[in-house]
Amino acid sequence: MSRIGFLLEESLVNMRRNPLVVSGAVLAVFVSLFLAFGALSIQELVRTNTQQWQDGTHVIVFLKDARDGITLDSQVALRSEIDGWDLVESTEYVDKLGAFEEFKKLFPNSPVADNIDPDVLPASIRIRLTDSTRYREVVFNLIDQPAVLEVVAPGESIENVAQLSRVLNWLGFGLALIQGIAAVVLISNTIRMAIYARREEVSIMRLVGASNWFIRIPFLIEGMIEGMAGAGLAVFGVWIASRVVGDVDAAISLFDFTISSGFFVKWSILFLAFGAVAGVGGSALGLRKFLKV
Amino acid sequence: MIKLEDVTKVYDGGTVACSNVSLNVAKGEFLFLVGASGSGKSTLIRMLLREEEVTTGTIWVAGKDITAMPSWKVPYLRRTVGTVFQDYKLLPNKTVAQNIAFALEVLGRPKAVIHRQVEQVIDLVGLTGKSERLPRQLSGGEQQRVSIARAFVNRPPILLCDEPTGNLDPATSVGIMRLLDRINRTGTTIVMATHDHAIVDAMRRRVVGLEAGQVVRDQASGRYEQEESVE
Repeated sequence: MSRIGFLLEESLVNMRRNPLVVSGAVLAVFVSLFLAFGALSIQELVRTNTQQWQDGTHVIVFLKDARDGITLDSQVALRSEIDGWDLVESTEYVDKLGAFEEFKKLFPNSPVADNIDPDVLPASIRIRLTDSTRYREVVFNLIDQPAVLEVVAPGESIENVAQLSRVLNWLGFGLALIQGIAAVVLISNTIRMAIYARREEVSIMRLVGASNWFIRIPFLIEGMIEGMAGAGLAVFGVWIASRVVGDVDAAISLFDFTISSGFFVKWSILFLAFGAVAGVGGSALGLRKFLKV
Repeated sequence: MIKLEDVTKVYDGGTVACSNVSLNVAKGEFLFLVGASGSGKSTLIRMLLREEEVTTGTIWVAGKDITAMPSWKVPYLRRTVGTVFQDYKLLPNKTVAQNIAFALEVLGRPKAVIHRQVEQVIDLVGLTGKSERLPRQLSGGEQQRVSIARAFVNRPPILLCDEPTGNLDPATSVGIMRLLDRINRTGTTIVMATHDHAIVDAMRRRVVGLEAGQVVRDQASGRYEQEESVE
């Protein structure tokens, strides 16, 4: 026990001597892992949201009404026609009253809901497809139908979001990779400086017969602490960001910004472990040329 | 205890530091290595610690061939050999007790054992009551005593001293030599490189003279300068 305590104390002494360099290494790990964790979280959000889309309504057809000369019968006829298409799995008809109820659900505290006339809102047909990726074909068939006011396919915007998130992900991962390498190099540099600052002690340790590992371990612990501190900050940063975005979520319920706690905990542990490994790796790199017997 | 067989050390630039040195040091012996600067005394000490590797030849320390020793075993060699240097090599931010304890901490000794052994050795080297002082609060002689205490606290069978009195005045040097003599009388083999004529002449122990890396004389109860033989 006293040996472990001694080694830990030696690492802390190292860190106290170079607070600025240590902070630099911690921040480099933080930036790198924050970017990586952030990119991963965005990917997860896009995945869960597109999943919801895939499981839900794929195309919404808003219908014209009596004011446009479209009768209820025409609407019913259109629905029957749609039901007959190969790509369509099922349809649901939402009338004006249903649309009003939905409006009230979407904007529960809005005073507009009390003043709005349900007749203003269009009735719609909600379509579920057998293959959600082929929504364009259905939209194409619907556009020219006389009873159709507007066709909305959430898939289109989701595809755009997914495309954007893919670009952001690559960018994020690219930056994270560069920052990650920088972090490892910086940790390795920090350790070299720590060895330099303690060269006298190291030479005395060697003189009195300390084993190579005994000399190296405090520096490896130092790297590990720096890596884990950076990773801890990154996890904290992502948690804060997810809380902030979560508040936005309450206002815009079309896109779900909530990261599941399972995902967060699992990846937090992995990122902390990665920080520790990167720290130890950086130290080992720094120690490689030094401390030969 | 120490045996050198045809040891030669040539540095990268081609400088010959030791040339065909053969030497036997018995257990409990006190040996002075004398010679001018650059004669190879310090290189010899460094080779005995495996801080330098021999170019050719063999060195045995405490029964082990250290020239064939794998590097990972070198720390174990150094635990059997205490070292004392001219510049003391003390850690300035650690107290006397902490400096001495450092040698035992790196060996992983339990705290209670460290405490007991450190107290004992502080008394032995005559620094009772000064265990909490920092090196800068001590005189040169006292700092060298701390260095000797650190080298001896582990009770090594061999003590290597490289100019231990080099920075000290004659009176203080005598005190240090008395201490080393006491340690030698406990059975510890001591090899000491020195320039100090007075000490070598006063102690009258075995003297090995080096010149340009070669042993030029080996005398029991010798003096610093070679005595003219009387026909």
